[in-house]
Amino acid sequence: MKEYLKGNYPLDVTINDSPAETDQTAAFEKKALARLGGSICFVAKKGFLWKGDGADGHRAADRQPS
Amino acid sequence: MDIGRQIASRLKDATFERIAPTALANADVNRPRIRASILDLAGRSFGEGDAAVVIAAGPSLHRRDSLARLRSSSFRGTVVAVDGALGACLRAGVIPHVIVTADPHAERIVRWFGDPSLTAPATDDYFRRQEMDPVHARDEVGANRRLVELVDRHGPQLTVAIATSASPAVVNRCESAGMALCWWNPMFDDYDRPESLSRRLHRDNGLPCLNGGGNVGTAAWVVTHALLEKRRIGLLGMDFSYPPGTPLTGTQYYPELRELLGERFADGYITLPNPFLGETWFTDPAYYWFREVFLEMAQDAECETVNCTEGGILHGERVPMVALDEFLAKVTRA
Repeated sequence: MKEYLKGNYPLDVTINDSPAETDQTAAFEKKALARLGGSICFVAKKGFLWKGDGADGHRAADRQPS
Repeated sequence: MDIGRQIASRLKDATFERIAPTALANADVNRPRIRASILDLAGRSFGEGDAAVVIAAGPSLHRRDSLARLRSSSFRGTVVAVDGALGACLRAGVIPHVIVTADPHAERIVRWFGDPSLTAPATDDYFRRQEMDPVHARDEVGANRRLVELVDRHGPQLTVAIATSASPAVVNRCESAGMALCWWNPMFDDYDRPESLSRRLHRDNGLPCLNGGGNVGTAAWVVTHALLEKRRIGLLGMDFSYPPGTPLTGTQYYPELRELLGERFADGYITLPNPFLGETWFTDPAYYWFREVFLEMAQDAECETVNCTEGGILHGERVPMVALDEFLAKVTRA
């Protein structure tokens, strides 16, 4: 709120910028935004397919053939 | 910047918040069921030549009768479809070589495969509201029953590129219909960071991580060029938006925008021109983000991508809009 309330004169009242209210708004916004997101993440500049660093993951060998 | 674009600019992180917990929990549950990797698809020939179509489930698929036109063409290339387009494909007689599914939602996604347990209209009005497959909006239970039959009939012919994030209900349904499942991990974050979730998941199950671009349509396009190595790709039903006149209540994220913006919810929508049709389409922040990400990813793709949707807002230097018949004629001639 402080970024919007700037003046060049003193105020007669005290502005109560309650941190609890700000936190609640931020939490609501975060929750609502999360519901607007996609169904899968996007990672910028990391290519299309990552197969690991050379060795397959250690659990790959125990797969049964389909 | 308008409010819709402001929201869109925050959706990369928001998607992680939305998806990661459920996706990772599903990956744990699905772990014992993994038999084949998506990498097993790489050497297989699906269709002829290096051309492919990627079928998403946007409204143009029905407006432009794209599937009937594809079916009646001489196209013999690869057909990759998203889960939401499976029903429309099968009804039109188009049998996809590969179906892609990723969304971890516990109840909704299984419906794209036909949910045998659905006996009455669901409390969740998603399928009555959504624009992706209108038959579900008209007769939810009847459409589902017919889809169950279709998928059961074609299941053994179908291969699913399934993300480890998929709901166990989807895994059950695909397995019971006799589909072949090839697994992949969604890329969650920068795998070069030691604490990366992508790296942890890969270490656990050995599967490759695929950068999904926010939605299953983009993931299907990534599968088609980065894995199947198709070099000429036509997109169908990849609207990422709504045709003029669509009621806002019939858009994907209407309830969420209403919750976030209250009475100002309409300010969250973004309008963009469609040069192919000469119309103005509108979109919501999520679809707009998908568009921006797709155009960014297309810069690095080693394939020619043309958008044959004949609708929507996905167009850019590397993704020109081309008539479907023109694309099909070109790749069939070559």
